[in-house]
Amino acid sequence: MMNLILGMDIGVFLAWIGTLLATVLCIVYGLYYQFIKKSEEKQQTKSLKEEEKKQEEDQ
Amino acid sequence: MDIVFFIISMSLFALVFFILGYLGYRQTKTAEDYFIAGRKMGAVLIAFSYGATFISAVALIGFSGIASVYGLSILWLAFLNIFVGIFIAFVVYGLRTRKMGLSLKAMTLPELLGHRFNSVKLQQVSGLIIGIFMVAYTSAVFLAIASLFQVTFAIPYWLCVVVFTVIVGIYLIIGGAYAVMWTHAVQAIVMLVGMIILTVGVYWILGGIGPAHEAAAALTPEMLQSIGSPAATQAPNGLTSMPPFLSMPFMMILTLIFGVGIGVLAQPQLITRYLTAKNDKALRLAIPYGGLFILLMTFTAFSIGPLCNVLMYRNNISYPTKIVGGALTANPDAVIPTIINQFFPSWFILIFLFAILAAAMSTAAALLHTAGAAIGRDVYETSSKKQFSPKKSIFITRIATVIIVIATLIISLNPLDVVAYMTAFFFGLMACTFLAPYTLMLYWKRTNRTGVWIGMLGGFLFTITWYILIYFKTAPKIIGSPLIGNYVINMLDPIFIGLPLSFLLTILCSILSKQDTEEETLMKKSFENI
Repeated sequence: MMNLILGMDIGVFLAWIGTLLATVLCIVYGLYYQFIKKSEEKQQTKSLKEEEKKQEEDQ
Repeated sequence: MDIVFFIISMSLFALVFFILGYLGYRQTKTAEDYFIAGRKMGAVLIAFSYGATFISAVALIGFSGIASVYGLSILWLAFLNIFVGIFIAFVVYGLRTRKMGLSLKAMTLPELLGHRFNSVKLQQVSGLIIGIFMVAYTSAVFLAIASLFQVTFAIPYWLCVVVFTVIVGIYLIIGGAYAVMWTHAVQAIVMLVGMIILTVGVYWILGGIGPAHEAAAALTPEMLQSIGSPAATQAPNGLTSMPPFLSMPFMMILTLIFGVGIGVLAQPQLITRYLTAKNDKALRLAIPYGGLFILLMTFTAFSIGPLCNVLMYRNNISYPTKIVGGALTANPDAVIPTIINQFFPSWFILIFLFAILAAAMSTAAALLHTAGAAIGRDVYETSSKKQFSPKKSIFITRIATVIIVIATLIISLNPLDVVAYMTAFFFGLMACTFLAPYTLMLYWKRTNRTGVWIGMLGGFLFTITWYILIYFKTAPKIIGSPLIGNYVINMLDPIFIGLPLSFLLTILCSILSKQDTEEETLMKKSFENI
């Protein structure tokens, strides 16, 4: 009898784990745009504002 | 279960939808409100609406039944449903569709095509294709739900179809896209509750994931034969293994997986959900909610299908049957209802029935709404040379939707065979017809009207011809026997040939012909926000 992983053969197990990983990908994508991308944008805005402030001070 | 209790619950369920329909009616002021909920929807509503539209009773009952026949190999479809149906769909298609829809002021897929390529005829023909074939698909959705209620309550099939169609028709026609989206949210929650309890329950009865799968793997063809399960012959390597490469069960799985798994990208009723988004962020954030929702729907439904064989074998329950042409044949659509009736308490039977009802209603509402818009806005309004006010435009679409609802009712009362194949038929047809023009429209600036016409009609005609002459499920019913006897070919979903053909035709004809000045202006306009 062939080796089974969690009672499934390799072809079915790949589908099983692939489905779970695809969901994880969706969640990570959402988290990235909710938190990381947002803070990146905030940082960019912050540094732009700082540059503008510096320029004003120089003037 | 007490039928009176069910009727009271059903009335309350319908009342919630009617209230949401009325609220939608009050919120609807412009055509944009009626067709795409004013482009004001947030991430959760988009995700739930997309998911509830995507997952019908066919997916839950029909495909879990198919999983009980072919085994867990159908989980590849769950993978594609999430990776292609959610991730690729939103990232690759959704974001650009929303931006292009805004630039071109388009509210439907045909309108997007018509405005992008400066062709009213293109809008009308695509609207007509969508309107006609959506009626067939909606009838498949009602067939599934009415069959379930017939099995569970012994309510006559025709009565179920009439009641469900009327309820959906009323709130949809009154409240438009707002009602559709809001009711989708309620229906999605009911679906989630039902599927989670069912899955946890089945795995719990069988002792957990590993033991349940091992028990399914241990079922021999003789054991499956003893309960009359078609899996005895259709899952030759066992319920938790892939069927032999290019065997008949393998081809069946392949055709279902790709017909539905790839076909999802070109479904007009799903494309409309992108257009309802208030901004890009809403679409991006809908992805995790959508992914989780589909996981909890298809992954669970497809996983428990094969396990039903274990439950039936251990408890000496025969695989459900039905009479077709005077002969007793296996009835995969009745597997889940049978298991629920045998192993779950009556309170859960009610919850599950409402979950399936919600799945059917949500899909049907989105389909009827899209089909009504296709016939009313894309076909009738554009063929009349008058300029319609938003109120008149909404009125026309409401009338068109009434006609579509009646047509669906008539077809549903004269049902075709296994529901899942009709889903694959519709998905395949829409993909071969629209996916190439739609993809190239979004990504290739050289795409032109001639290319889109030829690609769209080429894909459409090829698919229809394939279904009539070659496809193993449909050809025998139309011409007696498929023109090609080899099952590796005649079991192949047309998407394998029709889709590349449609891409090839669109690209070649776009290269060989040129955009006119107006088309070029519209092309620049459509890409200005991208």
